[in-house]
Amino acid sequence: MTGNSEGIRVASLDDIPEGEGVAISSDITGTDDDIAILRDDDGTCWALNDTCTHETASLAEGWVEDGDVECPLHSSRFNLKTGKVDGLPATRDTVPHRVEVRDGEVYLFPGERP
Amino acid sequence: MTGSSVSPVGSVASVVVVGGGIAGVSTVAELRKNGYAGELTLLSADPLPYDRPPLSKEYLAGSRDLDSLALQPAEWYAEQQVTLVGGAVAAALQPDAGEVELADGRVLSADRIVLATGGRAVRPPIGSPIHVLRDVADADSLRTRLVAGARLLIVGGGLIGAEVASTARGLGAEVTLVDPLDPPLAAAVGIEVASWLHGLHGSHGVETLSTTVETVLETSAGVAVQLRGEPDSRVFDTVLVAVGLAPETSLAEAAGLETSRGVLVDADQVTSHPTVLAVGDCARPRGHHRAEHWEAAQHDGARAAATILGLERAAVTAPWWWSDRYGLHVEGVGEMRIADAEHEVVVRGVVGEPPFSVFTLRGERVIGAVAVDDPNAVRAARRMIDRGVAVCGSDLGDPGVSLRKMLRGLG
Repeated sequence: MTGNSEGIRVASLDDIPEGEGVAISSDITGTDDDIAILRDDDGTCWALNDTCTHETASLAEGWVEDGDVECPLHSSRFNLKTGKVDGLPATRDTVPHRVEVRDGEVYLFPGERP
Repeated sequence: MTGSSVSPVGSVASVVVVGGGIAGVSTVAELRKNGYAGELTLLSADPLPYDRPPLSKEYLAGSRDLDSLALQPAEWYAEQQVTLVGGAVAAALQPDAGEVELADGRVLSADRIVLATGGRAVRPPIGSPIHVLRDVADADSLRTRLVAGARLLIVGGGLIGAEVASTARGLGAEVTLVDPLDPPLAAAVGIEVASWLHGLHGSHGVETLSTTVETVLETSAGVAVQLRGEPDSRVFDTVLVAVGLAPETSLAEAAGLETSRGVLVDADQVTSHPTVLAVGDCARPRGHHRAEHWEAAQHDGARAAATILGLERAAVTAPWWWSDRYGLHVEGVGEMRIADAEHEVVVRGVVGEPPFSVFTLRGERVIGAVAVDDPNAVRAARRMIDRGVAVCGSDLGDPGVSLRKMLRGLG
């Protein structure tokens, strides 16, 4: 992954309600998987690989709360900051990416750790 | 209550968990997660504990293999210092001595024994040959028979029967489904959703019959099945009976533990013997029904671990489940009721046009919800139930009103 000091502008913060997410296509992120931008209920933004590591489901469509995202299919839970599994049935951690919010815009740094 | 007689935490230096399903694996995982450092042994009939829900879906369809069903990867047990004894068949339990005897003669002793023995698929006395679906061997045996054009009779239109009907149609089998209830599952999802879900079978080429099976007989032409109310028997290639689960209580019964449609446990998962606990499908909380769902078994394991470690147990949450049929994802939480003087049924969206969800309210409180292709409606509902959030039925029924905002009291 080539570094990008500015990051990729992927969304406006206002477009992502607290507790929800949006999926950013791998065409834009340049990563193998799409990346889910997830907004916790405290308003903070995080990014994880979008596809649940258990079965094919989009974490961007999941339930975001208290530092976790819950998969919409079987409720596997992943830590927003670390990508670690916080709840079965998933057993494999997912990949976190760094995001930054500047002037109400969300910038993604694919491949960089938060 | 027997829970109060459990000896102090400090004395627990060894735990044996009997049974490698989700309840047993959750128990060992929660023990380690919460700092238990003593000896920990998991007895599993299978070499590596696996997840059962896919057995009627992706595994049966052939799109997932056994390796992908592992509840934890093989190396996890070593990392967690869990002695996994695969192929273990527990033959007897000596609660006072704290011993579990295996069929091969080995005897394991522990300060606490956790029964996670699960259950068996019910086989009604209707004759043979019949298939059931509970473990990988059952799924393998059924899968070889689900070829294009094979004639499959499914007895029981509950979650498992419906999932297999969907999978079998996907494999090109001819499917007939019988259930005396029309529609099945009304108690779980409410009558309106149950009717629509059951109707999906017909629109996917499954013949549904509202009757019961009287006899099953092997003949040279195939399996002859006599259905109640029909003049002649029908012939199928395969009969699957999916009419429920019988809790596996034989070890507990032989050991003199109290059982009644399950190993009876208190709110701490402790059986009638203070050093023996029970979790998952084999256990029944006194005064309640067995939950029989995946997540409930996981929660049982967490509670048992908390009891053993002397920690405060997590609050009981509304039971949650999911099922998949014909490409649709169905979830439910809590209790569904028919609208009456005390209960209001609120539809969000249109039943039959996914995504939609249906809620049951008692006064201002949600007590249950079912959703098709709208899982976050159920995630919102379970939090409304667990947190006792007061809601307004007309807001709930308006897809324009955010459930998350209602949950935060901003609706």
